[in-house]
Amino acid sequence: MISKKKSIGVVPLGNIPEIDLQVIADHITVCFKLATQILPPFETPGHAFDEKRLQYNAAIIIETMESMQFGNHDKVIGVLNKDLFIPIFTHVFGEARQGGACGLVSLFRLTKNPDGSIPNRSVIQERAAKVALHELGHLLDLLHCEHKHCLMHFSGGIDEVDDMSLELCEYCSIYLQDKLR
Amino acid sequence: MDRKMSVMIVDDEAIVRESLFHWFKKYGHIVETATSGFEALEKLETYPFQLLFVDIKMPGMDGIELLEKVKTDYPDTLVIIITAYGSIESAVKAMRIGATDYLLKPFKPDQLSLVMERISFQKRLVSQYHYLKGHLEKITRFDNIIGQSPEMEKVFSLIPEVAQSDASILLSGETGTGKELVAKAIHAESLRSHLPFIAINCGAMPESLLESELFGHQKGVFTGATRARKGFLEVVSGGTLFLDEIGEISPKMQINLLRVLEEKKVTSIGSREPVEVDFRLISATRRNLNKEVAEGTFREDFFYRINVIMIEIPPLRKRKEDIPLLVEHFLKKYCQETTKYVDHVTRDAMELLKRYDWPGNVRELENAIERAVVLSKSRTLNVEDLSFIRPPDKPFSKTLSLREMEKSYIQKVLEENNWNVTQSAKILEINRVTLHKMMKRYRLERP
Repeated sequence: MISKKKSIGVVPLGNIPEIDLQVIADHITVCFKLATQILPPFETPGHAFDEKRLQYNAAIIIETMESMQFGNHDKVIGVLNKDLFIPIFTHVFGEARQGGACGLVSLFRLTKNPDGSIPNRSVIQERAAKVALHELGHLLDLLHCEHKHCLMHFSGGIDEVDDMSLELCEYCSIYLQDKLR
Repeated sequence: MDRKMSVMIVDDEAIVRESLFHWFKKYGHIVETATSGFEALEKLETYPFQLLFVDIKMPGMDGIELLEKVKTDYPDTLVIIITAYGSIESAVKAMRIGATDYLLKPFKPDQLSLVMERISFQKRLVSQYHYLKGHLEKITRFDNIIGQSPEMEKVFSLIPEVAQSDASILLSGETGTGKELVAKAIHAESLRSHLPFIAINCGAMPESLLESELFGHQKGVFTGATRARKGFLEVVSGGTLFLDEIGEISPKMQINLLRVLEEKKVTSIGSREPVEVDFRLISATRRNLNKEVAEGTFREDFFYRINVIMIEIPPLRKRKEDIPLLVEHFLKKYCQETTKYVDHVTRDAMELLKRYDWPGNVRELENAIERAVVLSKSRTLNVEDLSFIRPPDKPFSKTLSLREMEKSYIQKVLEENNWNVTQSAKILEINRVTLHKMMKRYRLERP
């Protein structure tokens, strides 16, 4: 049964294929049992671009998103196709702050395999769904989990994203239910 | 196992502090930030952070200087150095000083994750080590008797030697020196260690009660004796009986005990049937029984019976080099009991503890540390936390000369002002140069 206590918005930042957004939204609905809606697109915030690193600063984009209105959605996941970083890291696949309102998923680094080959679209979509669910987990106050296959396990590389399950471990599941109660 | 850690990020760049802060929050760690080395040291004084992420390049105090201070004052705190590509040499230097690891900014997310995994593993090993060490300390024979002074080394070497025989032992020492702990250690080392150890303070009860406690009584022999009761001399059966403050017992009780020790039989009050007993006697006293025997106030035959082997426990003022070790032991003990975290004592506070004569010996020191830990607001005990320790004023002798009186008064003022000459000169209403001259003349030096 879909919970009506929290509603989630998925917002494209820039030109993102509708099908990718739909896959992310559907996974949130199915895995977390939360009502999810795809929102109208926004431009990628240009001021988040770092000219030295030629990447987008995830923290600045999140700050910008948090200053915007997204209807009545409790949490919003932004999806973009730009290379993201946070100042201490070379890159991130996604970013969200513990208990925050907005998170991000970048498709940029999900479109290549570790060996440089290009995966088929369904693999990219599954990776995007995993990162989106993981970041949404942080927005819902879930912590990184030590269980290797749990959705909340930290993934530093693309192969770890592939190893990650689309499900929460038993403990994180209980914790999420508690949070949504 | 709880893998949550307390982490402090020390960096002058807000974006770095913020990024790391949010990253560690995702693991549920306790996270704090500091904008400079000075702020980090201030925060370390109040909270025992386990892990520090320190940027090398910071204005004021750089990361290397902070690392050196942390490793000196808080050696258990782990430090990870974060540095830019240009300062690899500094990172290598940091590793030599004692940094746990270093990361080059910006790092891959999995590099930080790997470092944290290694630290978590190291933390688990350290915690297992402390658990096993504590466990081992608990089962070692001299648990709780702390000291490394030659006087205590002598006691430690005697314990296993005397434990092997059944000879009566007299422990002599001032109140609070740990006589009962030594008695327990002897018992634990002896062949009787699996049998009871019973301790009775002879000075704490009236003679009639002590007699009843030791010898037992039959039903109805006195008011309140509603049923027969075995005495401790019988109950201890095979074990060790520790009679503290033996010098306090009456001559009549001395005769009764002497008979038990000679005949190895005890007759309870109101009974005519002696019961065979077998125990090892350890007595203790804070009085000079030799002198009392010479003066005829303590029975000589009883004295020699209980004093086959005498062990003298030195007072704390004669083994002041043990004070830091004892303080460390009591800090650990009371931090565990009170869940407060106090693990340091400033140099001045330690000097104060060493200067004081501790008439109540180790027990008084233990109480002082317990009180200071309970009332302390930081993890470091300072002189103010120990302000209740006041070395008693030495009474002026009636035969003191004016010169001695002057010296004694100047010393007292200096001590009260922590040997601050300017402050002391002000109180004495003389100038600093004069006070320096007088200190030289009287050979008064800061201890």
